[in-house]
Amino acid sequence: MIRRLFIWLTAFSLALVLVGPAAAEEIKVGAINDMTGATSDVGKDYALGIAEAVAYVNDQGGINGKKIKLIQLDYGYRIPEAITIYKRLRDLDKVIVVQGWGTGDTEALSPTITRDKMPYISASYSAHLTSPQAWKDKDGKDHPGTPFNLFFSSDYSSNARGALTAWYEKVWKKSKEAGKRKPKLVCFYMFASPYASAPIKAIKDQAALLGMEVGSDQDVSLTAIDTKSQVLGARKENPDVIWHGNTTMSCAAAIRDCFALGLQVSHLLNNWGFDENMPRLAQEAAEGVIGIAQCPLYGQDVALMDQVIAYAKKLNPGVPQDKRLLRTTQAWANVLLMAEGMKRADKAGDLTGEGIVKKGFETMNNWQMALGGVAPLTYTAGDHRPQSVINVYQYSKGKFNLLDAVDLKARWPEKWDKEWLGW
Amino acid sequence: MSYLPCGVYHEFYKQDQAWWQTRFVRGKMILLGLLVFAVVPLTAGNYTLGALSEVAYTILGALGVQLLIGYCGQITLGHAAFLAVGGYTSALLMLQLHLPYVLTMPLAGVAAGLWSVLFGLPSAKVKGFYLIMTTMAAQFITVDFVITQYVSQVGGRGQAFSLPPGTMKIGPWVIESDRSIYYLLAVTTALLTLALANLLRSRVGRAWVAIRDNDIAAEAMGINIVYYKLLAFFTAGFIGGVAGAAGLSRLAAISPEHFPWFWSLWLVGVILIGGAGSLHGVFFGSLFMVLVMEALKFALVPLTPIFPQLAMKFLFLKEATFGLAIAVFLIYEPNGLAYRWWQIKNYFNLWPFSY
Repeated sequence: MIRRLFIWLTAFSLALVLVGPAAAEEIKVGAINDMTGATSDVGKDYALGIAEAVAYVNDQGGINGKKIKLIQLDYGYRIPEAITIYKRLRDLDKVIVVQGWGTGDTEALSPTITRDKMPYISASYSAHLTSPQAWKDKDGKDHPGTPFNLFFSSDYSSNARGALTAWYEKVWKKSKEAGKRKPKLVCFYMFASPYASAPIKAIKDQAALLGMEVGSDQDVSLTAIDTKSQVLGARKENPDVIWHGNTTMSCAAAIRDCFALGLQVSHLLNNWGFDENMPRLAQEAAEGVIGIAQCPLYGQDVALMDQVIAYAKKLNPGVPQDKRLLRTTQAWANVLLMAEGMKRADKAGDLTGEGIVKKGFETMNNWQMALGGVAPLTYTAGDHRPQSVINVYQYSKGKFNLLDAVDLKARWPEKWDKEWLGW
Repeated sequence: MSYLPCGVYHEFYKQDQAWWQTRFVRGKMILLGLLVFAVVPLTAGNYTLGALSEVAYTILGALGVQLLIGYCGQITLGHAAFLAVGGYTSALLMLQLHLPYVLTMPLAGVAAGLWSVLFGLPSAKVKGFYLIMTTMAAQFITVDFVITQYVSQVGGRGQAFSLPPGTMKIGPWVIESDRSIYYLLAVTTALLTLALANLLRSRVGRAWVAIRDNDIAAEAMGINIVYYKLLAFFTAGFIGGVAGAAGLSRLAAISPEHFPWFWSLWLVGVILIGGAGSLHGVFFGSLFMVLVMEALKFALVPLTPIFPQLAMKFLFLKEATFGLAIAVFLIYEPNGLAYRWWQIKNYFNLWPFSY
């Protein structure tokens, strides 16, 4: 018995040694994803998308001929886990770029990755990650710069500003009450979650800018499936519009409870609350819900979507096609962005952390990626907000229709340049 | 007294209670000290130091849990709350009042200790399962309510913020590299362990053990059980607070998500595996929980080219291992790794003529 075990163990370790040595030229990329944690409702699909997109990039010739080796680990939305995984990726696997996930861990790791000069492309679009230079806020507090944090999308704060502006102009101004009184905003989000609370300051600022009232916030957990007490709390305030700052599952629960308790309001969803699953979960309550999407829906008729679908079918045949979400295309956008940054840096002969940011990303000026439905991206040494046009969609009768595309930079150029960067 | 402790005779209580009774043991402890404070930090790579810092942070967290559960019999499932109080106290004192980091650590301990006493008050009336409920309440009231709603308002930084580089320093020595973090955590762990071990062999420690073994008998012997229970909560909270403050150095960032309820549960798991009622148990449990999990990852990552799904399934495996380890230990080794260590040590102490 013991001897047999010993033989198996030897065989196993031999197999490890044989598998160990890698192919000639390869670039190691780490990924920290959430497959099991509080945001796995959107994280699972995203994680699959990352692996599929990397396979696509490799089949297209990789980074100027060098293949990407992806080391992908699940951290269950737990920050201590993310830290140990990051250290492992940095010191043992020696990756040169990390594809990260949540706001809590990305912001927490931000000082560390800045010190390590590790480009960190995150699925967190927190505005706190957009200023490469150190900056001072209105109260005179210093904030460190985050020069190595990057992502393809508009940031959460811009999303919130854009959604509120679109609602104010396209929905509120057409209502009977418009002009008679000030509309009122209430925010539903998990206070303790850095992701959900990231854009709250900005949306309240935007509400003041548009001349709206703001009611008191309601704390809704990311894993909430019952939000009746919060809806009852909000009902006392008579809001006209609610901002939902969580991910799909709890946003849908809140929308459903508003519907069930007869609270007639408009719903605004941040991009992680707004996908193909939202109407499935919220059902008839989803009618008229407004949300942000800065990338195409899964299966939408845009450039490269055939490849997205082909790779999804090839690599993950076990996942039914109708279960795939726009999270996949979000992952593709971040991977294609990363590949472009690395290609540029490689061409400049400087495939290091600093080179990838300075000679890769920050040379992109209105760069259009192959994936359709994603706006051209621009990064500069002073501003890592890649785009300023916020696409606000409204769900109606089984379809996502574009309600408005709000160009924040064109509308408020002064504020966009000077005031809004970094929060 | 010579090299082996066979036939050691004590004439005074002082000798009986001494930590390192023979020259052999003293030699071993010096070697251990050299290993922890010189050999490891000077030779190990960043990854190893990071993993060992994680071990030290786990030890610091579990010490308080061990004191409450293992020595005083007060079951707690909300210890992460006191780590959070310590972490936030230290961070805010540094940022708002510009106090030096070293000074904020004991202050964080005192704040967490007093906060812990507040949630220890119900222990005067309730025991066992009911106490689990009140300590769980500590977790949710502290982290999800007080910190996210009110503490986050202090200074207007919100719930999650990072400390500017160079904020955390001891004198001219900036705590930033993995090595300096390791040193800070290792020294804090050593100091707190020595302090707690000393406390446990004093009058206070004996009172705690008496309460754990039978609180009614303890009271009948004249021990003021409410006082000593609250003292246990204060001490555990103090250690937790210092742990939270020291743990801040690992990231230079803090948010309520750093202190989830799962972490409280994890710390209880650590002492169950290590052995309840033993300081060795805290160390063995923490080493086991951190290093075994890292070792699992080592085995998995080379296999990912063949089984690409494996890495993504790792957390399932980790959680399953955690549950399995606790179940296996409760069934086959209810006294934990510390007991096994004691047996191994005795075997070699008596070898080759065990009697």
